[in-house]
Amino acid sequence: MIYFLFKRLALTVPTFIALMFITFVMIRLVPGDPVEARRGERGISPERHAELLKEMGLDQPVWKQFIDYSGGILQGDFGTSIVSKTPILHEFITLFPATLELTFFAMLFATLIGIPAGVFAAARRGGIYDQSLMGVALAGYSMPLFWWGLILILLMSNTLGLTPVSGRVDLIKYFYPPVTGFALIDSLLSDQKGAFKDALHHLILPSIVLGTVPLAVIARMTRSSMLEVLEEDYVRTARAKGLSAWRVIGVHALRNALIPVVTSIGLQVGTLLAGAVLTESIFSWPGVGKWLVESIGRRDYPALQGGIMLIAACVIVVNLIVDLLYGLINPRIRHAK
Amino acid sequence: MQSNAATTDHAVPPTPWRSFWNAFSENRGAVIGLAVVVFISLLALFAPVLAPYDPLEQIKGATRLPPFWSDGADPRFLLGTDAVGRDMLSRLMYGARISLFIGLSVMAVSMVVGVALGLAAAWFGGLLDVVIIRVMDLIVAIPSLVLAILIIAIIGPNLTNTIIAVTLVYLPRYVRLVRASALVELSKDYVTAAKVSGVGPWRLMTTTVLPNCLAPLIVQGALGVSDAILEAAGLGFLGLGAQPPTPEWGAMLADTRDLMMSHPWVMALPGLCILVTVMAINLMGDGLRDALDPRLRKS
Repeated sequence: MIYFLFKRLALTVPTFIALMFITFVMIRLVPGDPVEARRGERGISPERHAELLKEMGLDQPVWKQFIDYSGGILQGDFGTSIVSKTPILHEFITLFPATLELTFFAMLFATLIGIPAGVFAAARRGGIYDQSLMGVALAGYSMPLFWWGLILILLMSNTLGLTPVSGRVDLIKYFYPPVTGFALIDSLLSDQKGAFKDALHHLILPSIVLGTVPLAVIARMTRSSMLEVLEEDYVRTARAKGLSAWRVIGVHALRNALIPVVTSIGLQVGTLLAGAVLTESIFSWPGVGKWLVESIGRRDYPALQGGIMLIAACVIVVNLIVDLLYGLINPRIRHAK
Repeated sequence: MQSNAATTDHAVPPTPWRSFWNAFSENRGAVIGLAVVVFISLLALFAPVLAPYDPLEQIKGATRLPPFWSDGADPRFLLGTDAVGRDMLSRLMYGARISLFIGLSVMAVSMVVGVALGLAAAWFGGLLDVVIIRVMDLIVAIPSLVLAILIIAIIGPNLTNTIIAVTLVYLPRYVRLVRASALVELSKDYVTAAKVSGVGPWRLMTTTVLPNCLAPLIVQGALGVSDAILEAAGLGFLGLGAQPPTPEWGAMLADTRDLMMSHPWVMALPGLCILVTVMAINLMGDGLRDALDPRLRKS
């Protein structure tokens, strides 16, 4: 296991270096240098221009700049936002809990509905339930998220008045200090009546929208994995012993059928952190995705550079953890050379 | 003996097309998907003939008209008009052109580049293989939409750049697929036989190995078209794809956000077009997979 752990860790090192290289090159490909991007409408003198370049270390040879840049990252310095003048890492850490909270609930929604739906479909293979479920799953899989979000807002918020339209909490009614950054925890800590319920209400629609694609994937995957397992000999043995159909499915088959599903759930988390870009934009959810899109609009390249680096790093780490967990569940992977 | 001869007479093996069609048409969903795809393609192809108006023409006094099923509809505009009086039906038809064009271009470019890189990695191996695979791994590590946004931020938002960005994002799937199937084929006896009989590397890879890797590649291509359409629409929605007034479905949706509450159909229709198109292509792709590549078949 230790060997497996080190092997997987070693594989991520070149990926990180390449990632640093790409984000480094990117900012140099953008037309105009950062000084020009900062100076605004008023021109500046060539002397001041050179001075600023020197200040930012941009007069050094490129290889030296790259080493400085990588060194900074290793020390947690991801640069400073042009617009807010705060360190990127600080901005990211402030916004990340919102994205994480949304991702968590989207995944919860997808898993809690997707797995039972897939199991039922497999148990009643070819039936009307199976067919309609697979049809719905295909629609979910093909759904343009941004449109789905708007339609849900239209139906649930505007027509039925069930859920709020945007944001994480009703800022007019409730205010609480961001202690952990997670709206649910902070609202509980704040002791304000109704704040928790309000925060929960705000989470419903965005979680459904972000969870739709994973829900479809999980349902399809559970179904096909379940169908495969149901063909196995030990399932036939369990049936022959006279166990009830649901006991065979729920206890004997499900455990083994879930191995590939768990992996795919883990890998989806990475995709979700990114899928949050669209969902956050629709619901004005103050997370990392919305911040990235706004950074483009503001031409805040350092923010974009640092933000992408950090999001990609999160995805790599999540995938690494999934890999390790998978090795833990499934010894065949761990020992494969 | 005679009866034996008679049976062999009857058992003419079906042509590859015939057997493919038999397998494909078994799947009802796939046939429906194919029919819808053909229908949308025809609409897109003949949009200049079929569309009642120019998609960019703003008709005076005809703004925000509802579609035919609601009160106050104008029979001249079947699906109503948008905020500045452009005919929705015409814009949606031209939108199909743009979306299909993006989907097909992304697929074609990824296919060509993917085949080239995948075959090169499989054939040359060594350092080239490592570099190609590592770069592909890296692309996969960055979330797709974030990577597309990054590329657009560098090269600027427009239709061509959308195609470039989405192609780069989806390239690894093709490269990995081609490389993996080529490696499997390269270890087979018929390849050794071809090598022994003096076939050069170029010919070996293109006419001997490649055709045997085609089945999964075609499936990937079909599903890749729908992914590309979705991704491009997402970029359009964020304002990073095709720029207004181009009637791209995603961009049309973004345009109408302010109108959403009062005139929901202007927002609903482009999204519905995306959903139906992508769903039809996915249905067709699933059918292709089952028909072409029994190994990939999910029971």
